[in-house]
This record gives sequence, C-alpha cells and structure tokens, in this order.
Amino acid sequence: MKHLSLWTLIGALVASSTATAQDRGRMPASDRIPSSLMTFFVTSEPIGDGGNLGGLAGADAHCQTLAAAVGAGGKTWHAYLSTQARPGQPAVNARDRIGTGPWYSAKERVPDYLGRRLSRPIVQSEIHGDTLDEARRGSNLTKEFALTEKGALVNGIGDPMPTRHDILTGSRPDGRAFTDEADHTCNNWTSNGAGSAQVGHSDRVGNGNQSWNSSHATTGCSQRDLVSWGGVGLFYCFAVD
Amino acid sequence: MESHMNRVLVLIGVLALSGLAPSVAFGQHGMPGGTPMTFFVTSEPIGDGGNLGGLAGADAHCQKLAQEVGAGNRTWRAYLSTQASPGQPAVNARDRIGTGPWYNFDGVMIARDLAQLHGDTIELARMGNNLTKRTGLTEKGQIVPGLNDYQVPRDSDWEYSKTTPYTNRHEMLTGSQLDGRAFPPGIDYTCSNWTSNRDPAPGQAQGGLQGGPGRPNAQIGFPDRNGGGNGSWNSSHGTTGCSQTALNRTHGVGMFYCFAVN
Repeated sequence: MKHLSLWTLIGALVASSTATAQDRGRMPASDRIPSSLMTFFVTSEPIGDGGNLGGLAGADAHCQTLAAAVGAGGKTWHAYLSTQARPGQPAVNARDRIGTGPWYSAKERVPDYLGRRLSRPIVQSEIHGDTLDEARRGSNLTKEFALTEKGALVNGIGDPMPTRHDILTGSRPDGRAFTDEADHTCNNWTSNGAGSAQVGHSDRVGNGNQSWNSSHATTGCSQRDLVSWGGVGLFYCFAVD
Repeated sequence: MESHMNRVLVLIGVLALSGLAPSVAFGQHGMPGGTPMTFFVTSEPIGDGGNLGGLAGADAHCQKLAQEVGAGNRTWRAYLSTQASPGQPAVNARDRIGTGPWYNFDGVMIARDLAQLHGDTIELARMGNNLTKRTGLTEKGQIVPGLNDYQVPRDSDWEYSKTTPYTNRHEMLTGSQLDGRAFPPGIDYTCSNWTSNRDPAPGQAQGGLQGGPGRPNAQIGFPDRNGGGNGSWNSSHGTTGCSQTALNRTHGVGMFYCFAVN
C-alpha cells in the first residue's frame, strides 16, 4: 500500500510540474492554440437571414471572413453543408467539401494524466461513423470541442437562453446529401421562408439522439423559424488545406 | 449526515457549474412523467478499486443504492462483463440488463432497447442513444461530475477526490466491448472479473491505457460522453491499474451503471 501511495505521489508531482512548465509564459491566453493550428470551428455568428446563406458560396465566404478576423484567413475554409440535386445540378455532400483532416479546434484543454494539452483532433471517418465500431465509439466532437473561431462555447441545452446548438448541415448522419424529394437544405441555402433544414446539435444533446450533424429538421427557413427550434443559423467551418 | 452533506454539495456544485434549472435536479424520481427509474449511475463507488466482489457484489451495490431511494422493489444489475476463464464462460454486460426501455431518475428514456443502447446497426450507432451528461444521473438524480466541471490539479488523486465529491469522476467500469459483450480471455479488461484491486508492476503502467499480459486493467466508458477522444459510454479505454488510486488517476472512482431487469 505504501508502494502504491508513493507511485501516486510521483505521478502527481510529474503531472503538476509538467503542467506548470507549460503554463509558464502563456498567460493570459494560456488556452489558445496558435490560430495556424485551428482547422475547425462553429461560426460565432449567423449570417442572419434564416436558411438563406447565399448558397454554398455565401456560407463559405462567411467562414472565411470569421476566420480572417481571428488571424486564420490564410487557410481555405468551407462550410459543412450539403445541397440537394436539382435538374442539371448534382447533389453536393458536406463530407466531400471539407478536405481530409484531421481537424483541431480553437483551444487547448487542461492537461490530461500524461500532461497532454492539445485536444485530440476529429477525424473524417470517426465523425461520420464510417464503420460500425467507429459509429459506436463516437468522435471527439463534443460540446467542449465545438468552439467558435473565438474559442467560445456554443450555448446548448442547460445553458442560459437562447440556445444556439442547432447547426445547419442539410446532411444525413453519414455526411451526405438527402436523396428524397423533400427540402432538407432551405432550397440549397437560398430560402428564408418556406422549406426545411436538417440540423445537428453542437452539444450532442437533444431530440433523443446525439447526432452532431443530422438530429432533426426545422419547420421553416426564416430566422424566426430557426430560433424557435433552438438555433440561430450557425454552421460548422472546416479548413480544407 | 456528513455523507448527505457531501451529496448536496455535489448537487449544488454541479448545478452551479452546468447552469441547470434547479427544478430538473430536485424533482422526485419518476416525476413528473410518472415513469419509474430503471437506470442509474451509482452515486458512490464500492471503494476498493476494481474489486467489486465479483458480479454478485456489484449487483448487491446497485440493489442497496436503489433500496435507499425507494427503488428496491426491482431487480438491479450492474452493467459489467466478465471474461471467460477455465470452466467459466464469459458474461456479457448486455445480456444482464433486461430488454428495456430504461428510464433515468427524471423519467427520461436512456434507450428504448438493447439495439439502440449499443448501436447494433450503423444507422443506430451514428445517431447514438440518449445517455448524455444530462441524463446519466445517479439514483439520487445527481449529474456525474465530468471534464470541465471542477478543474483542479489534484482531481486525479484519490486522497483528494474521496473528500471532494464534485471533482471529475466520469469513468464507469464496464469491462465491455463497444457492443456490450465481454473481451476474449487473455488480456485483463475486468480487473480479474471484478475481484482485483492490484496495480501493474512498476514500469508496466507507463504510457497508454491499453491492457497487456498480466497487467491489471478495466475497460471504462463515459456517461457524459466526453473523454478518451471518443466519448463512448461503455468502451472508451482502459485504466492505469485496478487499485482505487489507479482508477482515479484517469478520473474514475470505480462507479458503474445499474439497470433494472424488470
């Protein structure tokens, strides 16, 4: 027993001294990682016109603008959004727009038991559950990972209102576009009135499931409709390079 | 009385940190929906690391905790697997817990059946079940403190954690694979079928959390779905050993899931 206590003590000392050394010289922004490392964020602000994002191009531009504002404009940013097939226009799958990853978010975390501070990244096959084991195990895309480009948490269930956890995706759980006739993309992100958008939850809570990208549909595409469901029209942005 | 105060502290601490409405956590179990509780996370560990007294000891712990909150009329089982040993077949956690649906303290459904709980098809697995930080409640309705709730450097030190009930303690013993079944025999994932409080020999536990030949180890999962880089509720990673202090090193204290089979 004495031996075990000693082991623990040594472990704790090592862990704490490592953390102290890493903290030194980083204050006050000790938990920011260099913006060059951030390759994933949730938009801190919506475009504000409901499901009308100006199409994929408008959404991508919004990602790029927000990233540039925090010094991460040197990368190419794409919104995680699908569009549905139209006559003469094939569907676009959100998962095919975002590069290959892996992706990191805007913050380091508290050191784990080995003193590691950088969050584990999210990985294409894990966030989409490409194998049964990956789907069961899940990914590191948690509420604490899904931060805005400013490193802020997105209000979810249980946080002060308004809830902002509904994230526009227009996608199925595998990250691909819907193939039925119904609207799942606010008319390919051009409608602020009729239609519907498929959304996921950035805090992984709501609607009896944990889907980050395909939890439920909204009724309507106006800004007011989105708010009534617990969102404001935020979306995920990924660096593709 | 002192332990009662501790529980209140957990409740208050976690409430303050997570910003939950008091009405949620202070509700009577089974209220207001009227659905009786058939799932909980143990509010207390047994306290001897991975030695739970086998499955029988763990089941008795579930039953005792349920009894204390007036839910002892059901048959409670710990969600734990044991590995096959000579003359003794494996036991799968998923085969021990009935067929569901299971409801938490608040009457919220955790999963409607075994298939949804474990994600038996890829479609089910991608959507996940309804076990989250907000629904993975103890038999007293407490949220289990997890990452980001109360961060202090000593929260992986059992001497500190045992008197500080709001420190991170989100690792649930399961000894199970992602599908809820036992690991094959050989490498220990169950602290010797929940009878061992031993630690690996010096030098053997450095680094990762995977099991290894002769290395005491327990597979764990997270009710708050946040940890290990994946957030699996039942099979995220192993432990640094099977003593109480080893379990705490990675933010567990030896708690586990309890399900009512009837």
